[in-house]
Amino acid sequence: MDVDVPAIPESYDRYRAALRSVIAAHRPTLVWRQRAGVRVPDLAEDVEKLRVYARAIYDAGYVLDRFRTERGDPYEQRILEQELSAAGVPHILGNPLVSGALRLFGTDEQRASYLPAIARGEHIWTQLFSEPDAGSDLTGLRTRGTEDGDDFVVVGQKVWSTWAQWADYGYLLARTEPVDGSGGITAFVVDMRTPGIDVRPLREITGTTDFNEVFFDEVRVPASNIIGARGEGWKIAQASLIEERSGVGGGAGGDPIQRLVRVARQHRRGDGAAIEDGAVRQHLGLLAARSRIQRHLGQRIATKAARGEISAADAPTSKIWWSELNLEISETALALQGPRSLATEGDALSYEDGRWQDAFLYARAWTIAGGTNEIMRNVIAERGLGLPREPRGQR
Amino acid sequence: MDFGFNEEQDLLRETSRRFLAERQPVASLRPRIEAPDIFDPEIWRHGAELGWTAMLIPAEFGGGSLTGQPLVDLMVLAEELGRVLNPGPFVGCNVVADALARSGRDLQAKTYLPDLAAGATTAAWCLSGDGAPVVSAVEVRATAESEVEAEGGGTGDGWRLDGVSRYVHEGSSAALFLVVALGEGDRVVNLLVPRTAAGLSSRTVTGLDLTRRFSEVTFDGVRVSAANEVPGGWDVVERCLAVATVLQAGDSVGAAEVLFAATVDYLQRRVQFGRTIASYQAIKHRLADLSMELEGMRVAAEYAALALGDGFDDAPEAVATAGAYVGDAFSHLCGEALQLHGGIGFTWEHDVHLFSRRAKANQVLFGDGSWHRERLVRLVEAATGATGEA
Repeated sequence: MDVDVPAIPESYDRYRAALRSVIAAHRPTLVWRQRAGVRVPDLAEDVEKLRVYARAIYDAGYVLDRFRTERGDPYEQRILEQELSAAGVPHILGNPLVSGALRLFGTDEQRASYLPAIARGEHIWTQLFSEPDAGSDLTGLRTRGTEDGDDFVVVGQKVWSTWAQWADYGYLLARTEPVDGSGGITAFVVDMRTPGIDVRPLREITGTTDFNEVFFDEVRVPASNIIGARGEGWKIAQASLIEERSGVGGGAGGDPIQRLVRVARQHRRGDGAAIEDGAVRQHLGLLAARSRIQRHLGQRIATKAARGEISAADAPTSKIWWSELNLEISETALALQGPRSLATEGDALSYEDGRWQDAFLYARAWTIAGGTNEIMRNVIAERGLGLPREPRGQR
Repeated sequence: MDFGFNEEQDLLRETSRRFLAERQPVASLRPRIEAPDIFDPEIWRHGAELGWTAMLIPAEFGGGSLTGQPLVDLMVLAEELGRVLNPGPFVGCNVVADALARSGRDLQAKTYLPDLAAGATTAAWCLSGDGAPVVSAVEVRATAESEVEAEGGGTGDGWRLDGVSRYVHEGSSAALFLVVALGEGDRVVNLLVPRTAAGLSSRTVTGLDLTRRFSEVTFDGVRVSAANEVPGGWDVVERCLAVATVLQAGDSVGAAEVLFAATVDYLQRRVQFGRTIASYQAIKHRLADLSMELEGMRVAAEYAALALGDGFDDAPEAVATAGAYVGDAFSHLCGEALQLHGGIGFTWEHDVHLFSRRAKANQVLFGDGSWHRERLVRLVEAATGATGEA
């Protein structure tokens, strides 16, 4: 048994130093304020600056594995991920979920034309999966693609698409085959500038606009834009979602429990600092334990993946564990601030300029998106424990 | 990265599981759950042949681990013994063996370890009585004495022990005690005391946990030679506590695993309103939650064994995490299992209460969850800078 991640050899110091200087030279200064979660800039100028930044990184020869077909040097990849995250501005523009689908199911031509363009910030992508009436029950989606000559004509409505307001391309699931359920779905690449597409930004509980609604009014998509084969869309989406979930977790800003300890030191409770309060300490102790366990669950899943022993319950377990802990951590941070937790971003009274208030509101994105935690519990129960499946009603 | 057991450990698991299924299934405990004794030394001697007591003892004293990671090997066994609610002094024997192997004097190791490794004798760790495992809770006083008879003959300096140590697992059958006592100025002394010592008596406590026996061990002017002190003071206690926490966590994981599987199985067979109750989403979601808790218990316990055994920098946090989470989660799982079983789970004949009773013991021995959570917070505080990002 070991949990060692091999240390990066000193011989890579030069690689890191060179990368750092590229980042330092091109890292943009943005008007947009960075927040926790998958967030989207609200100004076109900031998006343009980020495209230039991504391009500079790419042109200097730095490309993440997810955007290419051969794997790079593992140490270089680790350094690349570390340094790009440490830069504090997004280095991937758009929702990159399609990269897994293209790598696993795309044609060589599709891979060649799309993957490098994502890496260099030229193509911003959005995901067009969920619909107003097809959320948890995604296989019930109703957006339809009807074959017409060399094209499919798409009619329908999508929702919860991040980055759609700035997107160049969309990763679309639409119903093309004359069967109900998952077998009738096909995955497409859609040029977001095609006539008939209407993107309407959605404002969420955070007050920010990180998601969109997308309307399709007889949008013509060439048949050559199908990813994989007709009717394979569900399989492709599942494969790319699994790849995506393995990357969920973590987050910037260091150990969240240490951050909570700092909040507890800086706020009062009764006659002393909150950190001196027994009930507070017990609560932080439990969160600390659960936070460490989250890490060990990740180590266990990585081990099972390497041994080919992944079970259907693993990804949902990790997703629920992390998203509920993340929510509780932000709720705890607000509770520790007491009445001061009422002051938010931009107010002189706010603590850490309202980052915890925003984190609290945004935390619900994680308990709902990517399969609600209730659906995840169904998956654990049905596919992990072998319990009877939920009865299906009429569609 | 390989956070899982290897083939040798899997084989060890299989061997012990087969042996225990045959010789000591939970059903075999039934006739003795209300008897004064439940521990079977015969099974223990067989277990010793399977390595139950050997892992932390050096080969020269008859021990030896399976892999280079004896605590991880032991975690396999702790889980297996937990699965059948084994009544034996697995934690006590291994804690004392570890203390002797790491901190004991040569003569102490030579005298006691071979019999412990062979399962010929058992040992018990006498920490303290009520409350948390802290110095102030130790109720055994050690007074310096001269002219104390040494075990090998002759007389010399030594100690006189007075006081009591409670909730000592198999304290009424152990041949050897490692006693935590307070000397002058509350200096902590760890003393090896044979059961035969004059003035030592034990009384089995009528207990909540029907699967194990705990004793009150009384020291009434017990004389112990200075040669019987295991050097190291409170550091030895800390190490014993860490090993005990980890092994007890393993016991909880194994027992929880079995009870959870039995619960899932029962709910898939129990039919009400024309359908199995496992088909109700309210039940499915509770089982999904328990499955997550069980997985959390497992990784917390197993990581703690790895970190403590290999001396990781975060071993104290890892042990505290296991202590902070596992016992409480086990107890919660037992409560849910009982509730989900319904009326049948409330009967004496059903095994669920045996698990629940064991969980209540595991929840409070060697520091309860709140004590370990406080420890964990202190460790996080110490690592947290005054300002800036962590």
